[in-house]
Amino acid sequence: MSRALPEGLRRTLRRFAGLSAVERVLVSGAAVVVALLVGAVMLLGSGYVASCREPALFLAGTSFCFDPVAVYAAMYQGAFGTPVNQALTLQRMTLLIFTGLAFAIPYRAGLFNIGAQGQFVLAALATTVSLLALGPLVSGPVATAVLVPVGLLAGAVVGGLYGLLPGVLKTRYGTNEVISTLLLNFIATGVAVVIVKRAFNNPEIQGTVTRSIPEAATLQPWLFPPGTRFSVPVLAATLLLVGGFWWLLNRTTLGYDIRVLGRQQAAAVFGGVDDDRVTVLSMVIAGAVAGLGGGLYVMMVVGRWQVGLPALGFDGIAVSVLAGNNPVGLVPAGLLFGALQSGGLAINFQLGIPRELVDVLRGLVILLVATPELFRIVGRRLQRQGRLRPAGGESG
Amino acid sequence: MSATATARRWVFAGALVLAVLAALRLVVPVGSVPGRMLASVLDVGYASSVLRLTVPIAFAALGGIFAERAGVINIGIEGFLIVSALTTVIVARRLPWAGVTGPAALWLAFLVGVLVSVAVAAVFAVLVVRYRSNQVIAGLAVWLIALGLAPFITFTLFDSSSPTIDTFGTWSVPLLSELPVVGPVLFDASPTVYMLLVATPLAWYALRYTRLGRRIRACGENPKALATGGVSVSRVRYAGVLISGVLAGVGGAGFTVGQVGTFVAVGQTSINGRGFLGIVAYLFGNYNPFAAVGGAMLFAGFDSLQLRLQQIGALDIPAELFGILPFVVVLVTITLVRRTRVPAALGEPYEGEE
Repeated sequence: MSRALPEGLRRTLRRFAGLSAVERVLVSGAAVVVALLVGAVMLLGSGYVASCREPALFLAGTSFCFDPVAVYAAMYQGAFGTPVNQALTLQRMTLLIFTGLAFAIPYRAGLFNIGAQGQFVLAALATTVSLLALGPLVSGPVATAVLVPVGLLAGAVVGGLYGLLPGVLKTRYGTNEVISTLLLNFIATGVAVVIVKRAFNNPEIQGTVTRSIPEAATLQPWLFPPGTRFSVPVLAATLLLVGGFWWLLNRTTLGYDIRVLGRQQAAAVFGGVDDDRVTVLSMVIAGAVAGLGGGLYVMMVVGRWQVGLPALGFDGIAVSVLAGNNPVGLVPAGLLFGALQSGGLAINFQLGIPRELVDVLRGLVILLVATPELFRIVGRRLQRQGRLRPAGGESG
Repeated sequence: MSATATARRWVFAGALVLAVLAALRLVVPVGSVPGRMLASVLDVGYASSVLRLTVPIAFAALGGIFAERAGVINIGIEGFLIVSALTTVIVARRLPWAGVTGPAALWLAFLVGVLVSVAVAAVFAVLVVRYRSNQVIAGLAVWLIALGLAPFITFTLFDSSSPTIDTFGTWSVPLLSELPVVGPVLFDASPTVYMLLVATPLAWYALRYTRLGRRIRACGENPKALATGGVSVSRVRYAGVLISGVLAGVGGAGFTVGQVGTFVAVGQTSINGRGFLGIVAYLFGNYNPFAAVGGAMLFAGFDSLQLRLQQIGALDIPAELFGILPFVVVLVTITLVRRTRVPAALGEPYEGEE
């Protein structure tokens, strides 16, 4: 993770982080497995209490409404079974990488950005509004070339500004960023609803919805069936962005400052890191990335702003935590959570099991990942009992 | 510093509220509407509804104070409220099957709701104290799990996404309830309001003057000193988090069976951010129980105002604007008026003991 640093400093930093990369991967994997097991127990328990006409499972003379194995199988099918399902999984993964980055970057600087949801919501509105305003002015083949960058830029700028706010509040007034970003989420949704209701409501549709953005600004599916709302070039660009952030964190001065500040604030400041500048910058970058995600959500998925945007900002926290707040780790973590989301839709559709099972799994995963000590103690105990060979770092 | 800073915060928040009201008057066309607005605020019904809406936020705040003063960040308090509210509805709906009905069933449901909240708090406490979880992330996880469990369980057990139950109704204190103004507000209220009126001074006294309270505060400020004195830091932290579970449980269960009589499982659930408002309330009140409950009352005041102003048809203000007003007021207040005095060892796992 920190190959650019001298060996001695690397060892010190690792002790502060407390976990090696291998350990992190093991803990994340174990957390996912344990969460799935707990989920299975939950399915059995609720299937035992609930009443249903056709029980799915009989065990020891008792009937259960849900069969965990069948549920997980349906989830897997729903996530990867058909090209349409794969597209949905990859679409969610792409968006989750953006909101995940919005948590990961400030986290590396020692900041909790709980505000990705608000940044996402307002940026989505900014993208929509700018495209609605600009759409009628351009036409023909240039339209896409103009509208796509403008839409994304609008999202990034508004998201960045909404990230700047808690950054400045923290550096100038010492306002705790956990609280300010949490509050700003509630404020963002309220403000967005008021703006849409007052200025951009689509009178033809009931509810708080804007008109649809121009066709030319919609990111079309490619390689996947039409209507799947996932665009391969977007995923490619996202992966490039992930690489860019890995490079930023590990190969640039700013990245070095961010990491040192996150690990040892006093030492960083003593060593000449401009604490305030790094705080504000990482919050702005985070907001802009979450904003890009919001813009993409509009341009790739819904094509308009509407009430009840998905909680991708909060899911991003889970993704980032699972990824050990490492940009590269966001890709597999995003894939897992993307698959959980599309799988959740499938079990709801096919088996009538509440989709929210997936939300419980998400919470369990991050609860367990936040508690590496649990696995370490269990691992040590197993070692002592001789069930694991003592060599290597497999204790997790 | 805390006393003066807290007082200053109150003056500032008051001024801000007045400024907002004044600004509203400028926006609103002159005529009968401002009069009706004022009338809707200066009224006994408004005061009682504010007090009622204060209860869940205030209990969340009191609960948060106990955890944080012991040194444990409890972002998960919203989750405690959701879980206790959900449990209360399930138990109240299922008890009639076992032959228990009427107020007995409601009180039993309330009790079980609180107990489940305490159980969740116990798990959370073991994770953060014994296994040294990242407290902020573990707290967020508790909230997210509760947010998933609520609809999952509700949809599997009930046909509706918002099952309803009976409520406690109001208890009126003989004689006192006949006092003008104060009577109907304070002495003809839901039992949960009385609980809050008792719990607030009790929490204040317990933190300030009892042995456990002093230990909890020491634990948040300087756990090493406490350990040197021969007290187990872990035990005190367990106590702090468990008390926080009890109080949050009373908030969530009381809100459900004492006031609304339903549990909405979709979206943000019927708790709808009240736990987070509680957190902000104690930050606003600088960890002082009285000031925190005052902060909760401020939010409840806005909430209730929103409902009332919506009834004045001529007033053309989007409801959502009122919905976010408490958050704006709080954000501005905690930003501009002196930094909150946070316990020194907050969020740090104690490494000294095994």
